[in-house]
Amino acid sequence: MLTYLARRILLAVPTLLGVASIVFLLVRLLPGDPAAVIAGPQATDVDIERIRHQLDLDQPLWLQYVNFLTRLVQGNLGISTRSGHTVVEEIFTRAPYTIELALIATVVATALGIAMGLLASTRPNSKLDLGISGLAVFGISMPVYWLGLMLIILFSIKFHEWNLGGLPAAGAGDWAGFILPSTTLALFSVGLVARMTRSAMLEVLGQDYVRTARAKGANRRSVLIKHALRNALVPVITAVSLQFGALLGGAVLTETVFSWPGVGRLLVDSIFARDYPVVQGVVLIFAFAFILVNLITDLAYAYVDPRIRY
Amino acid sequence: MSKRTISLLLVGGLALAACGTNPGVGGTGTAAKHGDKLTVAVGIDPDTLDPAAQTTTTAQQIVDMMAEPLVTIGPDGNPAPLLATTWTNSSDGLSYSFTLRSGVKFSDGTDFNAAAVKFSIDRLLSPTTFKAQKGVLGVIGQVVVVDPTHVKFSLSKQFPAFVAAMTQTVAAIISPASVNVAPNTPAQIQQPVGTGPYKFGERQAGDHITMVRNPNYWGTKPNYDTQVYKVVPEATSREALVKSGQADVIMLPPANDLPALGQDPSLKVIMSPSDRTVQMVIDTVDPVNTNLQKKEVREALNYAVDKDAIIKKVMFGAAVPLNGPMSSSLAGSCDVGSNYNYDVNKAKQMLSSNGAAGMKVRLISPTGRYVQDFQVAQAVAGYLRDAGLQVEGPATSDWPSYVAGIVLASPEKQSQKADIHLLGWAPAYLDASQQFEQFYSPRAAPKGQESSYYKNTQVDGLIEQGNSDPNPTTRNKTYCDAAKIVWSDAPWIFLFNQKLPLVTTSKVTGIVGIPNEKFSTVYASPA
Repeated sequence: MLTYLARRILLAVPTLLGVASIVFLLVRLLPGDPAAVIAGPQATDVDIERIRHQLDLDQPLWLQYVNFLTRLVQGNLGISTRSGHTVVEEIFTRAPYTIELALIATVVATALGIAMGLLASTRPNSKLDLGISGLAVFGISMPVYWLGLMLIILFSIKFHEWNLGGLPAAGAGDWAGFILPSTTLALFSVGLVARMTRSAMLEVLGQDYVRTARAKGANRRSVLIKHALRNALVPVITAVSLQFGALLGGAVLTETVFSWPGVGRLLVDSIFARDYPVVQGVVLIFAFAFILVNLITDLAYAYVDPRIRY
Repeated sequence: MSKRTISLLLVGGLALAACGTNPGVGGTGTAAKHGDKLTVAVGIDPDTLDPAAQTTTTAQQIVDMMAEPLVTIGPDGNPAPLLATTWTNSSDGLSYSFTLRSGVKFSDGTDFNAAAVKFSIDRLLSPTTFKAQKGVLGVIGQVVVVDPTHVKFSLSKQFPAFVAAMTQTVAAIISPASVNVAPNTPAQIQQPVGTGPYKFGERQAGDHITMVRNPNYWGTKPNYDTQVYKVVPEATSREALVKSGQADVIMLPPANDLPALGQDPSLKVIMSPSDRTVQMVIDTVDPVNTNLQKKEVREALNYAVDKDAIIKKVMFGAAVPLNGPMSSSLAGSCDVGSNYNYDVNKAKQMLSSNGAAGMKVRLISPTGRYVQDFQVAQAVAGYLRDAGLQVEGPATSDWPSYVAGIVLASPEKQSQKADIHLLGWAPAYLDASQQFEQFYSPRAAPKGQESSYYKNTQVDGLIEQGNSDPNPTTRNKTYCDAAKIVWSDAPWIFLFNQKLPLVTTSKVTGIVGIPNEKFSTVYASPA
């Protein structure tokens, strides 16, 4: 296990280096001059040149790349050209909001999705199954942008009009601020997890060992949870971890609709401002988060399926 | 009474309030009441709160609440006293002396004086200040402390609009001691400490900025204890906030909802004045479409577009027609006395007689940069098609690509992408010289942002003459002469002077628009 862990961590280094190099080049391939954006409309070409010099953008590309890699090895992701803060500071200010939202949405989606999928799989093609599957398709198909706005209209504006208080429509204030964005995010994942659980359960429920468990007199609950569900969880864990990884990367649309100060919005704002260091830093952190989540997922496989050994 | 006078009277209350001599309820006539917290939703997360590095009006108006310049925009649109009480200029126009207000303290308790003025302006001019935006104030050669209440600016050349330019946020005075208090550094200020009616409270990047009332403010005290500026990038989300009572004031609601918002008794719509003109900039040296080099063809394009209909149907009233190539709120603006009233037949005839009937033009517009920008470009494309032109587009791109590929592009590069592009232009201070940056050929892109590449040596001469004329009367006449020629040469399809729509709940009063596309909530009050 430890050897496996060490190998995976070592393998992450060239992956991250590759990501860093690709993103370094990609952002510079985008049309647009960060110095011109920063300088604003009244600036002269001299002002723009001065800012370009301040940001080291007047250096040759290869030198910028060498400097970037040198700083990266030292754990320095650079300075935001937009705010002047360090990129690490920028990301760590925003990351807690994204992580909290992703965690809440994932936990809710996993619990609800597994329960719904399990329930649907017990009576395949029944009205209950059709209802749950319909809900799941609804959750997956609804654009989060539209769904978020509908939730805002109902729970913020209409509830306010009906003197029922109303939930926060924007921003990360107190716990109530989490309700609408995490629900919006979770509704998509619930559908996904429910469908995955249902199909995995249906496959497992047809296996010999389930029939054997029933034949030996194990009760229904034990058969479903202990024998079937545990075996059906591997693909579900994959789906959940991929979803969680994606959410860690920031659910850009949800963060925008709900004005959530997360990493996704930071990335989009930084792309529009051609803030190269922040874009590079955020993408690297995304890549790192994905690698980490994948590693944890692989370790979780071994936990739920004893046949898997590293 | 000119349009300029009328629009400036509307904002007079603010300037008086800023002078500390007005109860400051924005001219509503309502007595000010105490309030705990005012929540304002804006669309932009300020990149920086450093006064010296300001480029965006939304960020500037937040900084303005905490740090004040020596002068502000007065009720008549001219500079009015703020931290300076009086000023004089030398006969050669190369130096300006300001007498400072006595007894003023920064919000950190230190004294405001001439040394602080010198420190702040030197910092603005310093190449080591992160992203400092000295702009036209680069004309300042030296700042001399005469005594604690007198300061003198020596200029490297004549600049009659100098005092007007000193109304900008970049010229705000900060406490010299504050730059050494973390997280501030001399190179970069994150928490501005000025003499303003509010002081910095806290900030969550991407979410909100909180300001608390400065108990030692030298002028009229504001009514709200705290003001929270929430960052809400989506217009529909801002609208939801004000409709649900979670924000007291929002800027820029979805334009197509303006009529409905205006009818909601729980809300108020304020059409705040702005000095931004929005236009379709014509590539006047277009090597691909040489017809656009002809003045008559460009005039025909102006006749082809129904500006009034666009203001009504596309802008939902959030604009006013132009009577010259600039907003009427600028000093030096004038009514040029002619117009391009919509006349598609005349346009067709002019195009035909100039061999441009059915010519092909490519349009491009940003999306989301200005109110209804892309929709306006689509409407213009429709009118040009009605005039018989083959219109390609409008295409669009994100703003940095647009700036690099169109606005700041050399003629060769721009002509590869478009013949006509939509652009908004908002002078940073209310002076015609700022608008003429768009018609002064030495500022043609890529040296500046004069992206029509328009060149008329007579206009260049008049602009230079106006820019160095210390006599306001003759200066205004010179600018007016230049404006008439520009209007006639039609380097733009002149569209409109945009307004800045705001929505407040009916529980709030005292929100005041400022013509340089800002609005002030300083003296907001519970209704």
